Amino acid sequence: MHTLMQCLWRLRMLGAVLLLAVLAASLAPSTHAAEPNEELGQAVGTVDADTWRDVKNGENFIDTRHESTYSLINTSGETWRQIRNEWISPAGLIAIGGMLAILIIFYLVVGRNDLDHERTGRKILRWTAIERALHWTVATLFIALALTGLNLLYGKFVFRHIFGDVFWANMIMGSKLIHNYAGPVFGILLIVILAKWLKVNLPKKHDLEWFKQGGGMVGDKHPDAGFANAGEKVWFWLLASVGLLVVVSGLVLDFPIFGQTRDDMQWANMFHGVTSLILMTVALGHIYIGTLGTEGAFEGMATGYVDETWAKQHHNLWYEEVKESAGQPHQSDPPIDDDTATAQRPN
Amino acid sequence: MAQMKFLCDAERCIECNGCVTACKNANETDWGIQRRRVVTLDDGMPSEVSISVACMHCDDAPCMAVCPTDCFYKTDDGIVLHDKDICIGCGYCLYACPFGAPQFPKQEAFGERGKMDKCTFCAGGPAETKEEEYEKYGANRIAEGKLPLCAEMCSTKALLAGDAQTISDIFRQRVVYRGHEDGGWSSVEKAQLSGPDVSGNLDEMAYDATRATREG
Amino acid sequence: MRLTRKSSQPAGQGGLGISRRQFLQRSGVATGGLAAAGFMGHGMMQAASAKEKTAYSDAPVETKRTICSHCSVGCGVYAEVQEGVWTKQEPAFDHPINRGAHCAKGASLREHGHSTRRLKYPMKLVDGQWQRLEWDQAIEEIGDKVLELRDKHGPDSVYWLGSAKFNNEQAYLMRKLAALWGTNNTDHQARICHSTTVAGVANTWGYGAMTNSLNDIQNSKSILFIGSNPSEAHPVAMQHILLAKERNNAQIIVVDPRFTRTAAKSDKYVRLRPGSDVAYIWGLLWHIFENGWEDTQFIEQRVYGMDKVRSEVANFPPDVVESITGVGEADMYDVAKRISENRPGCVVWCMGGTQHTTGNNNTRAYCILELALGNLGVSGGGANIFRGHDNVQGATDLGLMSHSLPGYYGLSEGAWKHWSKIWNVDYEWIKNRFDPNEYNGSLPMNSNGITVSRWIDGVLEEDADIAQRSSLKGMFYWGHAVNSQTRGPEMKKAMSQLELMVVVDPYPTVAAVMNDRTDGVYLLPAATQFETTGSVTATNRALQWRDQVIEPMFDSKPDHEIMYLMAQKLGFGDEFTRNFAIENGRPVIEDVLREINAGMWTVGYTGQSPERLKAHQKNWHTFDFHSMQALGGPIDGDYYGLPWPCWGTAEFGHPGTPLLYDMSKPVKEGGLTFRARFGVEHDGVNLLADGVASAGSEIKDGYPEFTADMLKQLGWWDDLTAEEKKAAEGKNWKTDLSGGIQRVAIEHGCAPFGNAKARCEVWTFPDPIPKHREPLYTPRRDLVEKYPTWDDVASFYRLPTLYRSIQENDFSQEFPIILTSGRLVEYEGGGEETRSMSWLAELQQEMFVEINPAQANDLGIKNDDMVWVHGPEGGKVKVKAMVTPRVARDVAFMPFHFGGIFQGESLADKYPEGARPYVLGEAANTATTYGYDIVTQMQETKCTLCRIEKASA
Repeated sequence: MHTLMQCLWRLRMLGAVLLLAVLAASLAPSTHAAEPNEELGQAVGTVDADTWRDVKNGENFIDTRHESTYSLINTSGETWRQIRNEWISPAGLIAIGGMLAILIIFYLVVGRNDLDHERTGRKILRWTAIERALHWTVATLFIALALTGLNLLYGKFVFRHIFGDVFWANMIMGSKLIHNYAGPVFGILLIVILAKWLKVNLPKKHDLEWFKQGGGMVGDKHPDAGFANAGEKVWFWLLASVGLLVVVSGLVLDFPIFGQTRDDMQWANMFHGVTSLILMTVALGHIYIGTLGTEGAFEGMATGYVDETWAKQHHNLWYEEVKESAGQPHQSDPPIDDDTATAQRPN
Repeated sequence: MAQMKFLCDAERCIECNGCVTACKNANETDWGIQRRRVVTLDDGMPSEVSISVACMHCDDAPCMAVCPTDCFYKTDDGIVLHDKDICIGCGYCLYACPFGAPQFPKQEAFGERGKMDKCTFCAGGPAETKEEEYEKYGANRIAEGKLPLCAEMCSTKALLAGDAQTISDIFRQRVVYRGHEDGGWSSVEKAQLSGPDVSGNLDEMAYDATRATREG
Repeated sequence: MRLTRKSSQPAGQGGLGISRRQFLQRSGVATGGLAAAGFMGHGMMQAASAKEKTAYSDAPVETKRTICSHCSVGCGVYAEVQEGVWTKQEPAFDHPINRGAHCAKGASLREHGHSTRRLKYPMKLVDGQWQRLEWDQAIEEIGDKVLELRDKHGPDSVYWLGSAKFNNEQAYLMRKLAALWGTNNTDHQARICHSTTVAGVANTWGYGAMTNSLNDIQNSKSILFIGSNPSEAHPVAMQHILLAKERNNAQIIVVDPRFTRTAAKSDKYVRLRPGSDVAYIWGLLWHIFENGWEDTQFIEQRVYGMDKVRSEVANFPPDVVESITGVGEADMYDVAKRISENRPGCVVWCMGGTQHTTGNNNTRAYCILELALGNLGVSGGGANIFRGHDNVQGATDLGLMSHSLPGYYGLSEGAWKHWSKIWNVDYEWIKNRFDPNEYNGSLPMNSNGITVSRWIDGVLEEDADIAQRSSLKGMFYWGHAVNSQTRGPEMKKAMSQLELMVVVDPYPTVAAVMNDRTDGVYLLPAATQFETTGSVTATNRALQWRDQVIEPMFDSKPDHEIMYLMAQKLGFGDEFTRNFAIENGRPVIEDVLREINAGMWTVGYTGQSPERLKAHQKNWHTFDFHSMQALGGPIDGDYYGLPWPCWGTAEFGHPGTPLLYDMSKPVKEGGLTFRARFGVEHDGVNLLADGVASAGSEIKDGYPEFTADMLKQLGWWDDLTAEEKKAAEGKNWKTDLSGGIQRVAIEHGCAPFGNAKARCEVWTFPDPIPKHREPLYTPRRDLVEKYPTWDDVASFYRLPTLYRSIQENDFSQEFPIILTSGRLVEYEGGGEETRSMSWLAELQQEMFVEINPAQANDLGIKNDDMVWVHGPEGGKVKVKAMVTPRVARDVAFMPFHFGGIFQGESLADKYPEGARPYVLGEAANTATTYGYDIVTQMQETKCTLCRIEKASA
């Protein structure tokens, strides 16, 4: 049946094209003499290719639906479907899966990046409470959005079969609700956090060297790094670019009340998919480095303080700055007053 | 197994919108939800032509393919249905659908759209009871051995519904009767059927060579 | 609403079905929702309140057979009812007219059983507020007031405006009600619909009705639509028309100022200037005569006066026609050729042809065209006049008009005596009911009453200028949409001058809200046609029986019950119902039909007994889709619906007349001749048919109408039974109540009404041969001198009527655009009913005016801009611009179904609570103007002038 319908379609389109040619040929000699009235009288015309072009563009037709903005033929829908289902979706799987695989292999082969020296026990304030709160909020939202987003993209292949319809219905509805309501919050906090950390993430010359040495993996020397090393800066700027695209495209999708067309939504969806999958992929790296991959990194974001040794090893320039401005690094317990700490920490 | 399809004969469609209200009558969709719509091209011009559009129950349905919740399914009759309990109102089916068939009761901030609604070919949908089925999806005429009300009530029999083979037979017969230069899509000067014997052979001419056996 | 699946009581118990109670409950809910929903901007659309879905039910299904009430096509419907609720509507595939098909209106018919936007209780306006009344109180108060008006101003001061939405029995009772009240001031929408057709066509060949049938159009080889747009107005008719096109290769020719949806299906579309129909037809005839395409044999044998037409047509050579109509010679020739070469062909016209000051000329011109081509009395030919409302044909036949009693008997003493005999009421008693004084030389009892088109003037004119005792003081709007009438602002003024307004309708109607009154308005809720039973006459003259689908909703009552209540209150309840049994407080519908059968000999409404109609209704499936004849079964050989004339008594068993004037069949089998209505000769020329008669006729030539004396001369008198002889003595075929004369004539193969020629010349009309006359409001001042309108008439249907004094003034500079109007498929008539159905209202939410793109650019108007359309008489409407090539550059079009907004001001808050339609809009007729047909007082809606301006904000 499929083929028959297709045939009919093709026949019609072919017919329309042929007819256009015939009409063009037959009209050509007569048009110069045609009177408007006469032409109207004789013209029992046909819908021609131009009309179909108009229709594709959403013009030249009327619809019984009141103030309908739905076009008659949505040709871009199929393109969107192909791109989404045949490219983005598998590419995302490959990217995320590939990253996971790389990280696992890396961990198994290289293992944790331990501190080269003994901890001194002296703690340096690296992240204030507000920053940590921001980070963890954004991180939580990110993970929630990532998981729900992944569920929206891939969940149907897995969970419906495992858990059954009722559970799946709730799960996917929950995913959508979380995703749609957490998304805008994430967007706002992301901008706040980007603004807050903009200064320390401005590129510096030594960052190039850092890259050359692969963040310390090439050669046996630790490259120079300020408060944020070049790797962190990359993550920052990725969030500031791709991350913002994720947010913007997400908002377009989340608030379909500004007269977006279906084309707009398809574009937004594709952008959102591609950018968020990139972000997720890279985020895996970030998470790895921040947890399993680097000794002492997680405790920094957990407690706010890092060991002097850690600071020296990973952020030597920053360490120097802190030392200079404070004279001596803190030896006491972490101060309770965060504001004091902030004041003490030069950026 | 039947493959249910709609076919709108644009030569016959007069844009009376009977199909639109017949659908309302059968399914009682909310104000603003029209599962079927009539679209007119070149309105007011000699080439004006109208066509009634709803869900086409595609063989390879884009809505099914893009649905994040997998709420769509195809019946044995080739009817594309969806489970409103699973639908989350994400709107993807609408982005993908070539015909603008999926509709949502609302479109608000945070992607709140409510459950998608579309033509069911008057085949209802998944539900525990008939009451629930009617409430959620509207009529299940297929179960009663009837066809969709829009086609059954079409004022000029332009809108055909039923097994694809049957409706294409009907359409083919019409095309042969009225002559065609363009596959029967639109009004051109009628091809004058030549020869005195042709009129008697119209049904013969409507014979579909693709069919192995011919039914009366 | 949810149906209780396990009902504790049987449906309908206690007279108040489950449905009724639930609907009452629902209405409370709905009104609450309505108040909360508020109002949405200028579009005046309002989404249906919270979902009110009919619940699925397993209760036993009762299937009722009814007929769609939206237009005259007469589509059959299967209504499925469960526990008193109309739960489903199934297509009637076996119905011989529509085969299950419906347009938007028919396909949403079931909402009649669900929409709560109804007038729910009797109400009256007290200090500008609607107050609920009980029925008896309402009847008492209205009756007292009406009797007071009668005392003070005479019976003619009260106007009984009836409806084409009544079934036949109700329409007949309404006429009877007015008659027994003592006035001819009664009318219905036929006046503003096809009155010019009825007058023009009946005066041409005998009967004023569609000659063939919709099904018969399948046999046409050419179909000329002029002023008709069936795709929107009669969509199901298109099923037959497109079959003719496909199977018969029929030429579809659409002549219309507007490129309609019918034009989109045509082989040939011709755009003509509104109001130039006669010139157009003469232009076609010019080519037909020029090329000798006329049917000379037919004209010789069956047509009178074609030579006079020839000389008139000679004045319309191609260049003249092009100047008047805007259609060039090539197009004229082309159409003339197509209709000549493709015979049999038919002509179809509707409001586009009739609603003109020259309407009667137009309709006669169309007839003459068909006569010249010999297209009459043949299958596939004819004058296929598509009537408007579902029962406008029936209501017309049953005399719900100011100029006749039922059956076109007229208002002469003989007519009154005929009907008083049928009614079993003393003639003298009726005579005493009337104002005994003469006005303008005639008695009110025998003079045409004021028409529905002119009730406004009946109120506003000085008493001295009206040919009755006083102006109108009280109006009954019994199923009438006032917004379908022209001259809105003056109508409003008239309403404010009345002493009493009574609206009887399922809906409040625009009359309830557009008046500026604070008192003296009563609203009585009438039941719809699905809440009662009775017969309805479709456009093809076929009578169809409707089952009652549901009980009357809310506190509504069927119209005939309300009429009976009024008659009782007004003191003639006994005379009103002498021949009827009363059940449940209502006259029994079948008894009313039997009374109709007893008196309607003129048009053959005598054979359609309730029993026969019900048998037809039960056997839809036995009728052939092409011929409409029953093939076998219990009513073998009958034509569906016994299309009138169905001669003789029911026992005589006449099958009905499917095609009028078809000589190929014996009269007994549905054949017919042209009626000998106009005498046997005129100016010494024979008017009877020349050497032809219908098949099987024992008189092989023309003959006059049958009388008792004629039977005796022919030697057929003894074919009558003794009883028939007694009744027939001194009578003719119209007045012999036994039906014997008709029977004997038919048994000898003759038509009871004679065998004559059709006439092209109607010597009793102002223009014996139709003439082109410019519209009163014409943009072509240069043509006025040559084609002027008539002189003013001092008293016509009791009122002064203006022609020349309006046309004298040149409005064309200030109002350069021609304004015309028409229908939308979703709505019907004034639209109050259909705009109260959410399924339909959703599809057309805004009133609009169609403007040509070039004109729009000239005026600086863009699509969807709000514009003011000003009429030359000061009326104006604020509507949305639809820029479309459907209309020509100098023409604007507005649909006339909207109401509830008046000159920019919303009347929404004036509706009784919960009764406001979903969609309101400006009424097109607020901007339309004066102008009435010289024969019938048809209003001019299709051709006036206007100015369009962009509305500021």
